[in-house]
Amino acid sequence: MATVRGCNLPDDLFYNVDNNVWARREADGTLTIGMTAYACSLAGEIVSYTPKKVGKEIEQNKSVCTVESGKWVGPVKAPVTGEILATNPDVAGKPGTINADPYGSGWLVKMKPSNWDADSGALITGGAVAGAFETKMGADGFGGC
Amino acid sequence: MTTWRLLDTGLRPAAQNIALNRALLEARQQNASLSTLRFLRFEPCALLGYHQSAEQELNLDYCREHGVTIQRRITGGGAIYFDTTQIGWELYLHKHELGTADMTEISRRICEAAARGISTLGVDAKFRPRNDIEVDGRKISGTGGAFDGDALMYQGTLLIEFDVEKMLRVLKIPAEKLSDKAIASARERVANLADLLDRVPPMAQVQSALANAFSEEFDVEFTPALLTSHEEALYNDALAEIDHPDWINLLARPAVDQPTLNAVRKFSGGLLRASVAFDRTQSRIKQVWFSGDVFISPSRTLADLEAALRDTLAEQLALNVKQFFATRSVDMLTLTADDFVSVLHEALAQANSEAAA
Repeated sequence: MATVRGCNLPDDLFYNVDNNVWARREADGTLTIGMTAYACSLAGEIVSYTPKKVGKEIEQNKSVCTVESGKWVGPVKAPVTGEILATNPDVAGKPGTINADPYGSGWLVKMKPSNWDADSGALITGGAVAGAFETKMGADGFGGC
Repeated sequence: MTTWRLLDTGLRPAAQNIALNRALLEARQQNASLSTLRFLRFEPCALLGYHQSAEQELNLDYCREHGVTIQRRITGGGAIYFDTTQIGWELYLHKHELGTADMTEISRRICEAAARGISTLGVDAKFRPRNDIEVDGRKISGTGGAFDGDALMYQGTLLIEFDVEKMLRVLKIPAEKLSDKAIASARERVANLADLLDRVPPMAQVQSALANAFSEEFDVEFTPALLTSHEEALYNDALAEIDHPDWINLLARPAVDQPTLNAVRKFSGGLLRASVAFDRTQSRIKQVWFSGDVFISPSRTLADLEAALRDTLAEQLALNVKQFFATRSVDMLTLTADDFVSVLHEALAQANSEAAA
């Protein structure tokens, strides 16, 4: 587990740092996708969550769901290209779950990646996570989680 | 000095204005456009927040019968009625120009600048968290934002000669509808620039007041310019999607999932009535409307409390009310924060009894 400026960033996950999203590779090759603790801190309490429909193909860096906090609306972007396999009914009922448990019960969608080996080259994992987010937080003028 | 664009897209139907939101945000995200201050006006329309449902928020029959177009914004927050007596202002920026990526801070900085601009017209406008600009507790501007990657769009209204009664007919506001008292009460909650100034300020003066304030806040100068051909192309694509029932009905939830719950209680400090628009699926208060004959000074306290309780989870209600009263000095005779909590809890209890029935 890396901690950068007070934000947890588990180093076994794969991150698109610019988009502030993570992906976890499950044993069956599918992906679980979510917002980072850092993204949650910037957003504040999330009050709405509208995922794309199950079965839809989403290109890398296109929206898998839309979230709202403090009257701000924006997309959460797919770390890799793939098909939406599941959305999270618990988050739909209580979007604040995203803030409370961003790497657990606050997951956003599950995806079947189209070409993990090619797309995952753009993602950061392991020892590179902390440095990449420290740079981003510096550029963003971020005080801390 | 850095130059930003000043763009005035004039009076347009809602679909065109929302399609321009999408196109200009996208162009800014692509770094294909300058940061921009846009002014816009609307033909009469009801604008839903991005995550709202028309059935839950609007009196659809009234809108149909009176030519009030329904559209969906790309920004968050609640439904509003917009007509030609208001002006819209919008900033299209890059997060790096703001020195922070914290959404709450960005809202604050932009709203405080807008409030300073409005104040130069001769009123005392202030930012009221989380997203309003108010004059003596009365809302004069509501705001909201959208982001895409590192680009963002932040927009606000400014009421100039707003028709409050029409708003009550268009929106499902949790208040006794259209009684003289409700209309008077709604008028106490909003402020029209023309009423405050005793004159209708020229649109050009309002625009330059806002532009000057943003110019000072961000240390930039504005140069008027038109849409680029790239933006026109993005706009045409966006309009095809947005000027369509699928976009307007993107989210459709039944009105029964957002009931208006009412409760009245007599306290030694007076009669207090609460109407609550309640999102049953999330157990979340969307909006509260207080009325009654309680004595409270300053009188703006009720409007401030209503603003503070927007989007409050039922489980956090008591805490939020107590925090609200703990952070300010209010004279309300024998009425207490607990009295507000009890009348609100009584209203919310009806959601459970309705669900059980």
